[in-house]
Amino acid sequence: MIDIKKKVRAFIVENFLFGVDDELTDATSFLEDGVIDSTGILELVEFIEEEFSMSIDEEELMPENLDSLNNIELFLTNKLQKK
Amino acid sequence: MGKFVEHSKLKICERCILPETFPGIKFDEDGVCNHCKRAKSINAKASEKKEKYRQRFDKLIKDTINKAPVYDVIMAYSGGKDSTYTMKLLKERYALRILAFTFDNHFVSPLALDNIKKCADILETDHIQFRLPWPAAHKIFSLTAKEDIFSAPTLLRASSVCTACIGFVKSIVLKTALEMSIPFVAFGWSPGQAPIQAAIMKNNPDLIFKAQRAQKKAFPSEIKKIINHYFLPENYFEKFKERFPYNIHPLAFFKYDEKQIIKELYNIGWKEPTDTDTNSSNCLLNALANQRHIERHGFHPYVWEIANMVRQDIISREEGINKIYSKQKESIINFAQERLGL
Repeated sequence: MIDIKKKVRAFIVENFLFGVDDELTDATSFLEDGVIDSTGILELVEFIEEEFSMSIDEEELMPENLDSLNNIELFLTNKLQKK
Repeated sequence: MGKFVEHSKLKICERCILPETFPGIKFDEDGVCNHCKRAKSINAKASEKKEKYRQRFDKLIKDTINKAPVYDVIMAYSGGKDSTYTMKLLKERYALRILAFTFDNHFVSPLALDNIKKCADILETDHIQFRLPWPAAHKIFSLTAKEDIFSAPTLLRASSVCTACIGFVKSIVLKTALEMSIPFVAFGWSPGQAPIQAAIMKNNPDLIFKAQRAQKKAFPSEIKKIINHYFLPENYFEKFKERFPYNIHPLAFFKYDEKQIIKELYNIGWKEPTDTDTNSSNCLLNALANQRHIERHGFHPYVWEIANMVRQDIISREEGINKIYSKQKESIINFAQERLGL
């Protein structure tokens, strides 16, 4: 079982939160809480595609899939099952 | 005058040019940063990916061209080399019907304004200019020069001043595209500015809604009142749901050779401004914005973009160092400072 949240969290903490993850909960909204901006979301997509060897379609670029650790886990779990 | 960080006094990555002052950076025993290591496998597949994006773009244009009422694309046109070259590409290679849009923040170089007029004429492109009233520009840019109002991660990629300015540009061009049923919004972003995934991207209304809310929230209430109408009205998200355009920035997947770009632009009458800083070919506020960012954060706001370009071998490490670690002309900084009364 891949630990999706752990990997994505590590990427975000290293790249956007300067190594400090005190306020990043699983439900934190990346966009609304200023963790990542709209360009940052695409850097996150680049990371996910590389790390999980998958491609994310443009229709999938929506907050329901990518705006929190919980959303990402759910989205990627479903996507990986369909692979 | 504030401090200037000389690169000889800083440890910088041996591969790219990110400095030790860049938040969260780590170096290995060879002096290579964690960002270079992560980018290695991504960059190895870059040319294959660029080709895929180019093919996808060609198909998308073929399927969309001439279907919109008046324009195929609204081009965010600053008059700088990258946006001029992008416009040239869209016109000459794809024959798109372009509406060029310039956001006048009161600091556009007069030489850039000449370039804008000249190139829009040569490329036979309709052009509109949106000018922010000076009292609003003064309030917004003096505030963002003095303070960081945006979230810390945003400031890793750009200064507070630039983030405010480009935020308005993105919003107003999107609003215009929705109102005029224009299917593409084009930007002249360099390949270092955003990942390739952003190069052809259908705007998602929910994503834009959240991003816009976060951006508006950053401004103090007295400024919020005067800028509110530059953003998308809330009913647009439902009303124009099916009309949200694609954002495109073709320089991400076309060959980007700065010298060749400038050479081609000279052929259509574009001239390199001599009154701007090393990272802009249109804005007279940029040098002050950079200077203030360096004073507050200890790193240059363009270093992320330029480091990406060095990693992708688009520019040499030496060129990157010159762009980021050269001392800026005091006269450009002083001009903006005086204008803003700082």
